[in-house]
Amino acid sequence: MSESAITLISFVATLMVFSYLLGDLPLVSSLYRTAVYIFIGMSAAFTLVATYEGVILPYLADIQDANTSWTALGNQADVTIFVTALLFGLLLLLKPIASLSWLTNSILAVLIVVGAATAVVGALTGTLFPLLHAITVVPEDITADFTALVNTVLIFLGTMSGLFYFQFQLRQGDDDSAGRSRVGYAVRSLGKIFVVTTLGAIYATTMLSMLTIFVERVGFLMRFGV
Amino acid sequence: MRRMGIAFSASVAFAVGVLTLISLLLGDHPELYGNVAGAEIWAGLLALPAAVLLRLVTLTVAVTIVIGIVNLLHVHAGRGLRRQFYSIVMIASFAFTMYWYLTRQGDTSLLAAVQVPIESALAALLFLSMAQGGARVMKKRADIWGLLFVTVMVIVLLGTLPLPALAPLREWSDWLMDIPVGAGARAILLGIALGTVVAGVRILLGQDRSYRG
Repeated sequence: MSESAITLISFVATLMVFSYLLGDLPLVSSLYRTAVYIFIGMSAAFTLVATYEGVILPYLADIQDANTSWTALGNQADVTIFVTALLFGLLLLLKPIASLSWLTNSILAVLIVVGAATAVVGALTGTLFPLLHAITVVPEDITADFTALVNTVLIFLGTMSGLFYFQFQLRQGDDDSAGRSRVGYAVRSLGKIFVVTTLGAIYATTMLSMLTIFVERVGFLMRFGV
Repeated sequence: MRRMGIAFSASVAFAVGVLTLISLLLGDHPELYGNVAGAEIWAGLLALPAAVLLRLVTLTVAVTIVIGIVNLLHVHAGRGLRRQFYSIVMIASFAFTMYWYLTRQGDTSLLAAVQVPIESALAALLFLSMAQGGARVMKKRADIWGLLFVTVMVIVLLGTLPLPALAPLREWSDWLMDIPVGAGARAILLGIALGTVVAGVRILLGQDRSYRG
């Protein structure tokens, strides 16, 4: 496709999406919906291609080569895993049949628990341990620099009180003195300050990213219009 | 029969989950076994179940994605036959993209001409919605937390402007991003991690059986 064709199609596609700003006018509103449906169709096609080329094709290529193996079990085991995965995928289609629900539920259970176990290990080794280590590390020059001391204390207080704020399970009749005492309320309020500040900053930085894209798109329309 | 089925799937979930967890935590880490003879071989053997199960799950998920897309096409083909315009557009868009991929492998100009501009324009529209939402916060929630949210938002936004008059505000904005926001982000991340661990353990123990559908 030539450069000018790409620019022309991009221009039309951008205008079709921006037609949303004109509101619910007849014909104009259908332009936006058409653009969205084109987007869905293309996304589905690209997802299919990416899944095939990125996951299925490399596995197929590997199992055809007797010298390569994903695991220490050898090429024959790889073939078995591949066939089992295909079988699992196809058996999941039997979900609407109630009498076979034990089978489809078991396959779903394997998928979910392997994901859950991976998530648990990832959360422990990738987030919990490194972050807990980071908030307990004291800077070397802490006694020399008063600002560094205040900042370190603030980060520790902010993290701990923010974590305390996430207390969203309170059963009726529970003896939750920590949650209902004045100290608990004060710590939660402090945590809320840090969490709301963070959410405000995240909102602002996301807005900035979107603004950059918005400016780029409007600039593109103006350039092409000129 | 139904109870037997539930017990079977719960047993499968527990066995596979614990096996994966142990394999991921202890596999491929011979240093954990100290001076035990053949530590490397044991660590390699323990890593095997997780490797096999992760391959199996990755492939199964890939197959289910393909099945999901086939289902999407099936639903829209049915609507297309009833002459619903947008479904015909969707099917045509899918078919054209596949045709493009099969006949011009490696040519990404379709992506640059249609997919990227539509994605960018949708993200640009999101900016307007976010600006409108930010302005509405004080209208909907006129309390101290709404005020704090908007104040932080304004400081961070103004802090990015390259105006000399706003230099002191930029320092404030930088400090805000480094210390309070850093602390809040760590708290949120730790909360997510703890929530993931709790939810994961509940699934592994069979208390949460979302796979029953």
